Amino acid sequence: MKFIDKSKDAWHTITGEDGPMVTLTPAPYSLLTLTQWRAVRSAWPPDTPVGVAYDNDADIEDLAEDLPRLSLVALQFPKWVDGRAYSQAHLLRSRYRFKGEVRATGEVLVDMVLLLARTGFDAVALRADQSIEAAERSLRFFPGHYQGDTHDPRPLFARPPGEENSSAEVFVNAGASI
Amino acid sequence: MYAYTDFDKHFVRQRAAQYRDQLERNLAGTLTDDEFRPLRLQNGWYIQRHAPMLRIAVPYGELNSKQLRALARIAREYDRGYGHFTTRQNTQFNWIPLVKSADVMELLASVDMHGIQTSGNCIRNITSDCFAGVAADEIVDPRPYCEILRQWSTLHPEFAFLPRKFKIAVSGAHEDRAAIAWHDIGLQLLKNDAGEVGFKVLVGGGMGRTPVIGTVINEFLPWQQILVFIEAIVRVYNRYGRRDNMYKARIKILVKAEGQRFIDDVNEEYKNILERDLDGSAHIITQTEFNRVASHFQVPTGVVADENKLLVPSHAPASFQRWLERNVHSHQIAGYRAVTLSLKRTGQAPGDATDQQMELAADLADRYSSGELRVSHDQNLVLPWVKESDLFALWEAARAASFATPNIGLLTDMIACPGGDFCALANARSIPIAAAITERFDDIDDLYDIGDIDLHISGCINSCGHHHSGHIGVLGVDKDGSEWYQITLGGLDGSAISGGSAPGKVIGPSFAADEVPDVIEAVIDTYRHERTAASEKFIDTVKRVGLDPFKTAANAQRRTTAKAD
Repeated sequence: MKFIDKSKDAWHTITGEDGPMVTLTPAPYSLLTLTQWRAVRSAWPPDTPVGVAYDNDADIEDLAEDLPRLSLVALQFPKWVDGRAYSQAHLLRSRYRFKGEVRATGEVLVDMVLLLARTGFDAVALRADQSIEAAERSLRFFPGHYQGDTHDPRPLFARPPGEENSSAEVFVNAGASI
Repeated sequence: MYAYTDFDKHFVRQRAAQYRDQLERNLAGTLTDDEFRPLRLQNGWYIQRHAPMLRIAVPYGELNSKQLRALARIAREYDRGYGHFTTRQNTQFNWIPLVKSADVMELLASVDMHGIQTSGNCIRNITSDCFAGVAADEIVDPRPYCEILRQWSTLHPEFAFLPRKFKIAVSGAHEDRAAIAWHDIGLQLLKNDAGEVGFKVLVGGGMGRTPVIGTVINEFLPWQQILVFIEAIVRVYNRYGRRDNMYKARIKILVKAEGQRFIDDVNEEYKNILERDLDGSAHIITQTEFNRVASHFQVPTGVVADENKLLVPSHAPASFQRWLERNVHSHQIAGYRAVTLSLKRTGQAPGDATDQQMELAADLADRYSSGELRVSHDQNLVLPWVKESDLFALWEAARAASFATPNIGLLTDMIACPGGDFCALANARSIPIAAAITERFDDIDDLYDIGDIDLHISGCINSCGHHHSGHIGVLGVDKDGSEWYQITLGGLDGSAISGGSAPGKVIGPSFAADEVPDVIEAVIDTYRHERTAASEKFIDTVKRVGLDPFKTAANAQRRTTAKAD
């Protein structure tokens, strides 16, 4: 899981004084709204990395044709308990075989990271007050999981003996050290 | 019953460790109360009137004596000496300080128990028939399927933050004793003409503010496909269920609003998973996995069919005969019975048990039921493996522990939520209403004359006391800061006596608390007056004569409400 340091992040949104600009010049690592992307996609140079920020109430199916051209899909958590983007990420990976970055944005908290990792997100922009250390620790609690996920689509029962524990790391009770 | 593998044990211990980490961050101030809330909820920790409430999962109601003793220990050492068994076959405690919560989770993990997904907007504990595996009318034992579903739904990463809670119930018998049509997903196990096992799948049932009976979405789904089909249902719900209004967020609202389109969406999603997804058939249950899980649900060692018929000593009193009639149930194995330990008696809230009673129930399970118990959805305990020849001895022992009230299925065997005495959500108290009715109907001959009846009491519209499905339903409502009670008649929970599933109908404006016992009595008197014979059950009389005579009788009891008008 990649934790995004916003000050060093190559990706940038394109906004003018009145909100997102509709006309823009292709630049590498542009993170566009869907409206922006649709306005420019026919002219976007194939070797210029581009990403789309996708709302969590939009159908991922509608983005399917664009996926081969995108390097990043940024999914939204307007509230952290709104779990729609988990399904979007799952579909991106499992149904549409999207190979680019799937990033969690919005109200993203430490205790979501394990769920994010297992549904296909590989990058997280944590809310500013969140601890990356606690988030990394949260990935290491479980010896494995019952159901398949985007890393291993097989459920526990379909894995050969000895492979049940997908996580190689041994848990350390680090929570007590806070 | 299911025995945890090393993986299961490790998993639950790590869940306890994860919870301790979260609790520590909360106590240290790095995890705010608001952000800790959904996390502790998914481990069963609510904040209630007096202290946090802990809800412990009893998967499909199955419990062993060691686990029950651990619950007794929690009651004794961390709570105030009692616990409560719920309509979802779980256990609740009301007085455990939050700072002790991680210790309790570790104690639970040591006996293969947890509070995972007993609350929160996720897939909750799976419920089933309390006679699963022993019922004489069983088609297919639902427990292996329940366990496979439990494992699949445990910490499912995509479905941890659904629009609202999500409840699944499974029945494998001819009679529905799990109220499956009242659940977000109801599963009925069947065999087709070829003898193959499958599920009839219902979706979109639920209680709450808008009572809805589930819609059949698949008449016969081969058992191997059930995880994939449920994944399709829950994904459609996660994507399209309403999140703008908590009262319209359950799947029942989506199913009602979309109708056939919902069904089409689910079927398409199901097809897409299997045909398009990366390794989309990975969750088709293999025969090997089914056999592995099913091997845990064999008949316990020592339980063998025999001709040991029931011995009724010549000195056995009439109360033993009554107990045999009401609390003892038929069994798959000759010479065996299932026995209900009634948690409905004067002086204790319905479903409550003290630590001592839990210890005694555990002892009875060890002596008479291969160490196994069940929690029933009407808040009693069940011993599933009792030899007929042990019944008299068991009755004497159960009576000494006040478990032998011969009232199962009768008026005082009522369902009641903890209500306003404990629950922060409640509008009104349930326990004093239940107590007043229990006192009013303390004559056992009277109870027998009234016969089979479901009385269900909820302290608020969340319907934990299942008032919608009671032949008589009592719902606590708040009007201008005081407690009032709405009475419904004719609710049906899906059981054979009810003859279907349906919400009850309100019989008029709410009643004052002190009028409720009189109203119940008037309704019962009306039934006794109207019935064609003593054999006509209450619910059949209500169906036959309609609500009017009951309304008239109930309205005649208005004193406080008459003054208020």
